[in-house]
Amino acid sequence: MLRVTLLLFASLVASFALAAQQPTAPHDSVRGAIRTVDVRARTLEVTTGVGFALRIVRLQVPAGVPITDRKAGQPDSIGLAQLKPGDVVRATFGGRRTGFVAYVIERLGRMTTGVDSTP
Amino acid sequence: MTRRWIALVTICVVAACRRAQPGDPLPGLSAAERARFDSGRAVFDSAFTPQVGLGPLFNASRCGECHEDPVTGANGDEVEHHATVFHPERAGAMCDELADKGGPVFQDSVTPLLHAALGIDREPRPPVVTTVAGRSTPDVFGFGLLDAVPDSVILSYADPDDRNHDGISGRPNRFFDGRLGRFGRKALVPTLREFNDGAFQVEIGITNPSVPVEGTVAGDSLPAGTDPAPDPEIGARGLELADAFVRLLAPPAPLKQSREASRGRDVFARVGCTACHVPTLRTGDNPIPALRHKEVAAYTDLLLHDMGPKLADICFGLATPSEFRTEPLMGMRLVTHFLHDGRAKTPEEAIELHAGEGSRARDLFRALPVADRAALVAFLKTL
Repeated sequence: MLRVTLLLFASLVASFALAAQQPTAPHDSVRGAIRTVDVRARTLEVTTGVGFALRIVRLQVPAGVPITDRKAGQPDSIGLAQLKPGDVVRATFGGRRTGFVAYVIERLGRMTTGVDSTP
Repeated sequence: MTRRWIALVTICVVAACRRAQPGDPLPGLSAAERARFDSGRAVFDSAFTPQVGLGPLFNASRCGECHEDPVTGANGDEVEHHATVFHPERAGAMCDELADKGGPVFQDSVTPLLHAALGIDREPRPPVVTTVAGRSTPDVFGFGLLDAVPDSVILSYADPDDRNHDGISGRPNRFFDGRLGRFGRKALVPTLREFNDGAFQVEIGITNPSVPVEGTVAGDSLPAGTDPAPDPEIGARGLELADAFVRLLAPPAPLKQSREASRGRDVFARVGCTACHVPTLRTGDNPIPALRHKEVAAYTDLLLHDMGPKLADICFGLATPSEFRTEPLMGMRLVTHFLHDGRAKTPEEAIELHAGEGSRARDLFRALPVADRAALVAFLKTL
C-alpha cells in the first residue's frame, strides 16, 4: 500500500514538474527588434507593436533553444551571446507561469539595414 | 428631349471636371468602395464613451475630434505629447521608445474611473523621460496613396552618405521588424493600416483585433474596475471601415495657380526645396484601382532628414532627435499651424526654422528678392 502511495505521489510530483516545463498558453510568435539581452539570466526583450502601440515581449531562453541566423537562405546556429540590441528576430514562444519561454529564435537581420517586408 | 440631353451631359462634364474638395473620396471608386468610405467616415466620427471602451487613458474620444478642420480627416489644433529616451552611446539601439512603459504616446486625458482610482488627470511621465515632444494633428488626405507607393520608390531617393554632395542625405526609418517606415512625423510605421489600428488604442484607448490589450499607466497595469468594457472594444468590421475612410480620402486638388504662384513653383525648385519635398511620387500595383499606378503630388520623399538642433526633440526607431520625415505638403493651404509641433504660424516662419539639411534652401530663400519669396509662399498656398 505504501509503495502504491509513494508511486502515486511520485507520479503526481512528476506531472507537476512536467506541467511547469510545458507552456500553458498556445504557441505565439513575435517579430521585432531586440531591446536587451541578458546572457547570464538567459532572457531577451523584444520591442514590437502595431503603429505607435508598442510593447515589449520578455522571453526566457532555456539552454538548448535553437537560435539561428538567417544569412543567404542558409541558417547558421548561433549562441544567445551573439544576439545584440537592434537585431531583428522572429521567435516562437509559449506561456508558462514564470513568463514566456522561447522555443525557436531566428535572427533575420539588423534594424539599421532593414529586413524584407514579409511580416 | 435635346435640351434634357444637353443638361445631362453638362452635369456629367461638370462632375467629371470638379476638383477634389477636402474630405472628398478618391475619384473612380466603385460603388462598394464608396459605400465603405461613407460608412468609414461614420466610424471615424463616432464618439466613444467609457461605457463602450473610451480610455481609460486617451487623447480624444473620436478620430474626428482632432482631424477636424475644416472637414473630417483634416488637421486640427490639438497637440499631443510623445516621449522617448535617446541613448547615443548604444550602437544599434540608440532609442528607447519606452515600450515597457506603454510606448511613446503619453495620453493627456483619463476617464472618471481612472481618475477616481489613481487621482491622475493624464498619464504620468516616468522619471527616465528627459524630452517630451509636442505633436500637432496632421490631415490624413491622400494617405492611401502614400501607402501605395512602393518601398523601392522611397528608397530610390535615399542618399544616407550624401554621395551626390548636395548636402541632402535622406535615409529611411525602419519599424522594429525591419520593414521600411513611412507614417508618423518620424516615419516609423510601415503601413497605413497599422498606423490606424494602433491609433485606436493609443489615441482613444479602444482595443481592437490588432491591438487587443489595453495600454498601461506608464508601465503599470490598470487598476481593477477602471476599464469595464469588454475587449476588443471595436470589432474587425469597424476597424476595416475606419481604415477604408482614411485610405480612400483624396488629396485636395491644388488650386489653379496664378502667374505669381506658378513662378513660385519654379522658385521652390530653384532654391532646392524639391530635394526633400519631392513633387510627385508614383504608386505601384494595388488591389484598389483608384490607388493603382497614380501620380500623387505629395511633396515628400517620406525619408528622414536632419533638421538641426533647434527643432530636435525625441528619437524614434532609427530617427535621431533632430531627424524628421519630410512633411507632405499636399493640402498645405488648409494648414494653420506648421511643423511637427505646430510652432510655426506661417509658411515663412516654418521655412525660417528649417536647419540642418534644410539650411541651404532656407538661406537661399532668405536671399531671394521679396517678390520671389512672396511667389514661393503663394505657390505653397495653392497646394
